[in-house]
Amino acid sequence: MTVALALPTRRVEEWKYSDLARALGDAGFGEASARVSVGAIPAGVEMFDLDEPNRPDWVKAHYGKLNGNAVSAISLAKARGGIALRVPKGKIIEDILPLDFAGEGHVRALLVLEEGAALTLSEKFDAHETRNTGFEIVLGPNAQLNHVRLSPVSDCVQVEEISLTLARNAVYRGHFANFGAKLSRIELAIVLNGEGAEAHLSGVSVLSGDKHADVTTKVTHAVGRTQSTQLFKKVAAGKAQAVYQGKVIVAHGANGSDSHQTAKALLLDGRAEADLKPELEIFADDVKCAHGAAVGDLDADSLFYLRARGIPEKDARHLLIHAFLEDALTDIANADLREMIRGAVSVALNEVSA
Amino acid sequence: MLDIKNLHVAVGGKEILKGLNLKVDAGQVHAIMGPNGSGKSTLSYVLAGRAGYEITEGSISYNGEDLAALPPEVRAAKGVFLAMQYPVEIPGVTTMMFLKSALNAQRRSRGESEMDAIGILKTVRKKASALNVSEEMLKRALNVGFSGGEKKRLEILQMALFEPKLAILDETDSGLDIDALRLVAEGVNGLRAPERAMLVITHYQRLLDYIVPDRIHVLANGRIVAEGGKELALELEAKGYEQIVKDAA
Amino acid sequence: MSSAALETKETVAGLGEKYKYGFVTDIEMERAPKGLSEDTVRFISAKKGEPEWMLEWRLAAFRRWLSMKEPTWARVHYPTIDYQNAYYYAAPKNTPLKQSLDEVDPKLLETYKKLGIPLHEQMALAGVAVDAVFDSVSVATTFKDKLNEAGVIFCPISEAIRDYPDLVKKYLGTVVPVTDNFFATLNSAVFSDGTFVYVPKGVRCPMELSTYFRINASETGQFERTIIVADEGSYVSYLEGCTAPKRDENQLHAAVVELVALDNAEIKYSTVQNWYPGDENGLGGIYNFVTKRGDCRGVRSKISWTQVETGSAITWKYPSCILRGDESVGEFYSIAIANNYQQADTGTKMIHLGKNTRSRIISKGISAGKAQNTYRGLVSVYGKAENARNFTQCDSLLIGGECGAHTVPYIESRNPSARVEHEATTSKIAEDQLFYCLQRGLGQEEAVALIVNGFCKEVLQQLPMEFAVEAQKLVGISLEGSVG
Repeated sequence: MTVALALPTRRVEEWKYSDLARALGDAGFGEASARVSVGAIPAGVEMFDLDEPNRPDWVKAHYGKLNGNAVSAISLAKARGGIALRVPKGKIIEDILPLDFAGEGHVRALLVLEEGAALTLSEKFDAHETRNTGFEIVLGPNAQLNHVRLSPVSDCVQVEEISLTLARNAVYRGHFANFGAKLSRIELAIVLNGEGAEAHLSGVSVLSGDKHADVTTKVTHAVGRTQSTQLFKKVAAGKAQAVYQGKVIVAHGANGSDSHQTAKALLLDGRAEADLKPELEIFADDVKCAHGAAVGDLDADSLFYLRARGIPEKDARHLLIHAFLEDALTDIANADLREMIRGAVSVALNEVSA
Repeated sequence: MLDIKNLHVAVGGKEILKGLNLKVDAGQVHAIMGPNGSGKSTLSYVLAGRAGYEITEGSISYNGEDLAALPPEVRAAKGVFLAMQYPVEIPGVTTMMFLKSALNAQRRSRGESEMDAIGILKTVRKKASALNVSEEMLKRALNVGFSGGEKKRLEILQMALFEPKLAILDETDSGLDIDALRLVAEGVNGLRAPERAMLVITHYQRLLDYIVPDRIHVLANGRIVAEGGKELALELEAKGYEQIVKDAA
Repeated sequence: MSSAALETKETVAGLGEKYKYGFVTDIEMERAPKGLSEDTVRFISAKKGEPEWMLEWRLAAFRRWLSMKEPTWARVHYPTIDYQNAYYYAAPKNTPLKQSLDEVDPKLLETYKKLGIPLHEQMALAGVAVDAVFDSVSVATTFKDKLNEAGVIFCPISEAIRDYPDLVKKYLGTVVPVTDNFFATLNSAVFSDGTFVYVPKGVRCPMELSTYFRINASETGQFERTIIVADEGSYVSYLEGCTAPKRDENQLHAAVVELVALDNAEIKYSTVQNWYPGDENGLGGIYNFVTKRGDCRGVRSKISWTQVETGSAITWKYPSCILRGDESVGEFYSIAIANNYQQADTGTKMIHLGKNTRSRIISKGISAGKAQNTYRGLVSVYGKAENARNFTQCDSLLIGGECGAHTVPYIESRNPSARVEHEATTSKIAEDQLFYCLQRGLGQEEAVALIVNGFCKEVLQQLPMEFAVEAQKLVGISLEGSVG
């Protein structure tokens, strides 16, 4: 058992750009359990504390069932406590559900949206302690989840794996805004299990200093007529490192799968680094799959154009960086959450160009 | 030349043509008119031999031969040409290269000698200028980035080049403005010949102002429901399909 | 049986005939004893009449290899190779050390003629010099005298070790170090022949150079080593071709190719790889585990790789460029076709070290049958590579629903003024494209070949004219029976 729970080294392909063992040091993640709380629970959402005895059937049916990565296996084994949430069949929740992670150590969460249920989830965490989060999300047929995760700047190690499974016609929209940590890793393992299921992922990273942010996605089109899109934009200044690894798998026979991936990074300083690895694994022929990736700096022509119209260089750069990030932000469906992320991006950009 | 008897065709298990009869002689131009979903495109595809169009009953005789038994490329070599409603784009294959490959494949199939590149180029150039197909278009990849009008002109150029015996024009007027339509129609009219039959498939009467048919057939719900001379087109235009179909019933 | 099913069956039956280079030349061979040990290494070195330094170099590599593990990261699967159950040296008996064409065994001349490579200079393709490597030895090299006049050295590497030891010492192992990887280290220990090219300062090599590799002997691996050095301001275009007999066994081919381009020099390296791919059930075929790397050592130097990979049961190959010199240029143009049970894992590495370096990657992967085809590539921009530029286009075409197409690009940038762009698409031969071609009279296979050649066009254009037509035909032949 201890072997299976070992931390991945950089020799493990998926952890090539994130040296977890080194960032954690000898202490590792430790044995502690972190906490998770819901600010104000919207009417109609059921909640169960995973630390309590007598788990209800819906928790038993789904908890710990999705195959996670090596690190989420550790949180599953070690976390005592966490939260399970359920939106019952047909229930459409208008209010935003705020989910907050705090404390040091391992923590788990489970979210189940039953058939036709809909929810908007805002996920945040306290950045002052090292944490390993394992989050399972189950979307029933026609369920809809809008998910926005904000990762504030942190001097600690922040690791979260989100495993998602989508039944037919379920739609997931996830946005991941990341401002870096000593080591920040968000991993999304998404399986489109029913026809008509859609996953739309977007994210922005604004990094400075010696911060690191790794977004790793694995989207499996297990059946045909499923759709996935990904749009990730990254800005790295100082000695920061921005990582995107995205793997799209189209299973044998999953005809009619449609997938598009874009990852772009802007490097603002000589010591910043971007590592992009958009990957395709295709086992069906009737598919539409494409990806694009680019690293560069601001377009010199655009910069000149703005300056020629009288905008000082610093402002012009600022404007262009905002513009670069903007299309990933417009994907956030909920206007309040979109403005919240925009605000956080502005603050981070002031840091970067200050 | 073409004799279709009681033709039933199913696509994906659904019957589209339900007992169609049609006879076209050499030297004649026939028009098939009909509303959307009447089976016009199915008829053109089944004549050209596209996979997935299953003949469940009836026969297609072409110069005394059972057309249905032949693979599409053999039909092409034997003179069946389908000008498609949506000509296909093939990236990386230049138009000239495609014309040359197709022409020589047909010649080989007929046991004729292949034409050399220069001979083909000369022939193509001559016919291309009449249709306002530029040299530059011939150098581009087949249909890639062509406008609707360019694609249709290229189809007619191929028709002129391959000199088919039976030319089927499927909605050749769709997506064309009036000038482009006139140009295409001139091209088609120039190819009318005693040894050639044409089947012009269209939704609208306006194409038939330019390509005047010898006979018009109205296709509705998988069958020919009305037939007549060129004046039938005007009647259709005036009354609409619904009325004609009702009258015929 | 429906006509379509019958047609498919006939096409599949015809497949066995499609590999037209599958014959065996019946010729008396001399081999090293089976297996791999220091003795094998000594045997090979002695056979080549090598100096002591070369033997020591090989032995050091062999000792190193013993401690290394076979790489497993590529998406290829094969049973464990028993390195002791193969021959590491096989040569036709009585191969003279320095051949003139008149001395070459007529059986060998006949073999190469059958492969479409006539070696008699009066019959040879005008403007192309050939080094013919048969199993472990070079059996003939054409136009050597003509090239000598221009100062170009074009000879078997075993000859170069004897005749130009200083040049060989200066460059051998400097691009692909002895310790580079398992297969390269194995090659360093047991390499037998290959080609050595040196183009002196300011010389534009007057003809295309080429090496034709033929595996003939059974149970034998081929381990060639090629070095091409383009001195300042020179230019050379080099092409290699490869074939092997049809056999039920798998044979190993582990080559190392090192290219060095000095200031303002350019090397164009083209490969048409047509090793026996195995039969339609995946039986037999060559394991092609090859390390190829070019070093743009000088300013404004350029190395361009073009490969058409249609053969081999397994291809494991990443021709790469180290862009060390400022303003140097690296290119990689690739067509990889995998049909039946073939597995290809191929791509490139572009390592940008110098300022204003540029690289371009165009990869076209075609998968058919039950084959798996992977593009794996790295573009790495180091901190000092100001204004580095890369563009990568990586397209996959799938024919049928039983095969796989995979794209694994790594993009690593550490310089803000660098610009790296990568695009990838996946498509299939659309049913309407095929029907359109058929309607205009093209046969099924002809239509597939036409569409696939269109898909590959950007890469085919890079080949020297003499070989482009052959390669186009090969693309068609490799896919026979894939659509039915």
